[in-house]
Amino acid sequence: MIDTLAFKQLSDLNSALTPSGDPQLSGEKLLGRWVNTNRQTQGIAECIITQDGEHVNLRILGVGTGAPVEWPSVRARILANLEEEAGQRTVALAADFEFDFMKIETHLRVNRGVLVIVIFNTFTDGSGRSNYLNREFFYRMD
Amino acid sequence: MQFAQLSDQVVIDEAPAGPIDVSAFPGTWVNSNPGTTGVARLQMTEANGILSLQVFAIGQDALTDWGQENVLVFMASPTSRVGAGFTCVFDFGFAETRLQGMIMKGLLVLAQFHTFKDDSRRAGYFMREYFALDHQRF
Repeated sequence: MIDTLAFKQLSDLNSALTPSGDPQLSGEKLLGRWVNTNRQTQGIAECIITQDGEHVNLRILGVGTGAPVEWPSVRARILANLEEEAGQRTVALAADFEFDFMKIETHLRVNRGVLVIVIFNTFTDGSGRSNYLNREFFYRMD
Repeated sequence: MQFAQLSDQVVIDEAPAGPIDVSAFPGTWVNSNPGTTGVARLQMTEANGILSLQVFAIGQDALTDWGQENVLVFMASPTSRVGAGFTCVFDFGFAETRLQGMIMKGLLVLAQFHTFKDDSRRAGYFMREYFALDHQRF
């Protein structure tokens, strides 16, 4: 079957991606409440990842002035993670957040017990702010 | 000024912002892993302030040219005008790939999100690879 599959790079043909390869797209290892390792952050304070049947939902609390800013809860895309650093193989999550003044593209993965969130922020309000990226690290709280 | 996180809240000078400095990107970026089954090299070019990306990936016998797409450039902060990363999307019909690139200490870290749109029932997958700029200085 693999020989007949369309591909644009060899990793598309990785047998682990096919149903018979049992890609195990479970976000179980990412579930829980994750808190920023940097208490001085001005970005994301914490992230709550929950399972909803076959789906994984993502809640993010941004650091605000006085109280945290609750981002709209979104359903994350679960992706098989083909990188095998230190023999790890888990899933990565990708999620997009839409505000009426900006949109945020994120991806999340666990590396040696640390949740890494990479954030690409795009402003759509004409405020003159530059689009910017950030990367933050989180430890599991429960 | 609306914000989703405190770092969004900045004072913006009323003077027109200067052009975005994308000088860190143009050139040939080569995968640090000679055994990759993913992207072999990236060719980034700038013309009239527009940054574009051409991807060459590992194929069965030769490199696969994904073609060229314009990228959206991101800075390190809302007040910076210096490019530090980018995103772009390649649509292959049977699959779609979103790329997120970040430059860190001279290294380009490329996160790849591959989603299949055909009926092969393959799982979407994530890869992260590292690229060095072929600067021909040493």
